[in-house]
Amino acid sequence: METDWSKVMEVFATGIIGVFVVMILLQILTQLSTRVIDVVENLDKGEGSSPEPKSPTVPPKG
Amino acid sequence: MLDILKDLIFSSGAVSLTGGNLVMWLVAFVLFYLAIRKQYEPLLLLPIAFGILIVNLPLTFLMEPEHGLIWFFYHYGIEQDIIPPLIFLGLGAMIDFGPLIANPKTLLLGAGAQAGLYVTFFAAVLFGFDLQEAASIAIIGGADGPTTIFLTSKLAPHLLGATAVSAYAYMALVPIIQPPMMKLLTTEHERKIVMSKLRPVSKLQRICFPIVTAMAIMLMVPTAAPLISMLMLGNLFKESGVVERLSKAASNELMNVVTIFLGLSVGATMTAGTFLSPKVLFIFFLGLFAFVISTGAGLIMAKIMNLFLKNKINPLIGAAGVSAVPMAARCVHKVGSEANRRNYLLMHAMGPNVAGVIGTVVAAAILLKNLG
Repeated sequence: METDWSKVMEVFATGIIGVFVVMILLQILTQLSTRVIDVVENLDKGEGSSPEPKSPTVPPKG
Repeated sequence: MLDILKDLIFSSGAVSLTGGNLVMWLVAFVLFYLAIRKQYEPLLLLPIAFGILIVNLPLTFLMEPEHGLIWFFYHYGIEQDIIPPLIFLGLGAMIDFGPLIANPKTLLLGAGAQAGLYVTFFAAVLFGFDLQEAASIAIIGGADGPTTIFLTSKLAPHLLGATAVSAYAYMALVPIIQPPMMKLLTTEHERKIVMSKLRPVSKLQRICFPIVTAMAIMLMVPTAAPLISMLMLGNLFKESGVVERLSKAASNELMNVVTIFLGLSVGATMTAGTFLSPKVLFIFFLGLFAFVISTGAGLIMAKIMNLFLKNKINPLIGAAGVSAVPMAARCVHKVGSEANRRNYLLMHAMGPNVAGVIGTVVAAAILLKNLG
């Protein structure tokens, strides 16, 4: 049977390009989602910790 | 009395034995030796070897369509795509994606290693295989047994035994095949590069990763759905921490049960008639070629990335982009620590190693979409 070389080249090229495109997009999504979670978790930590008590202001005497 | 004895002898399988059967027994005993004595992938090679042995005993009809016991395992388990996704469910429950989440750049190394797979596809076509057969052989380079079985059963089921045994055999031979390639493609100076410690990954990040990945990959490559959905579900079981029973069942009991059926079914496809052909020798040769080229492609990808990175990575970790988890990562760690005793590359190599699992599934799904 005759080999369809145009199909071979199509499978070869779309395969390599396709894998890279999917993995790059996955990388971007992973970085994006981890950053968003980092920000949310840092905000949570900020809200969770009680504010530092302010030193009572004593009116100057005099 | 003599007639009864004569009848017994002539109705036995022994008189129907062929030379091909005897050669296949030899193949089975070599695999028994590798599995038991050398402990190369024994969980798979042992049932595969037994499957080969029993299916090459004449008149047992174990693979007789609609009648044979193992034919039912094969038909419902492999032809109907049940077993490989279930193996992925268990695999997902065992994999730690933490190193990949901590350093997502390593996803590119998982992609880089797949380039070798497509080079092998090209080479297999040049050797005279048709496109479906060439794709089934090329996927061996991904060093991922269930994915190889998944793709071959759809594109070239007559090659299933050869590609599966080839994939598992080369996975077991990672410590022998990969180090020479690593040393050939990296300099002493590169192998000595010490990588900084990975950042910690929170529980929420670990939980979100399988959900985001499953959605993203299935939207982009729907043909990857059976494998990637199960892989990520297994991982979600593990990382959620709320279904410990399911996680343990997936990674232990279920995994063990399906491994038995998978091994037996794959072994049973290897009858003398289908296995003993010059094509099979080429498959083993091209499988090795695929594995070597994929390792090289991962290493070269890491070197290319280093041209653009401020904090250089040790290019050895590119070799772990083939998915053989965790042997490839261990191998990277060993070669790295030989070059520099302060080097601890295991966790760094686990990133590309698990990225390789995802990459191989994506590559197989794209091949299936184009050729299925």
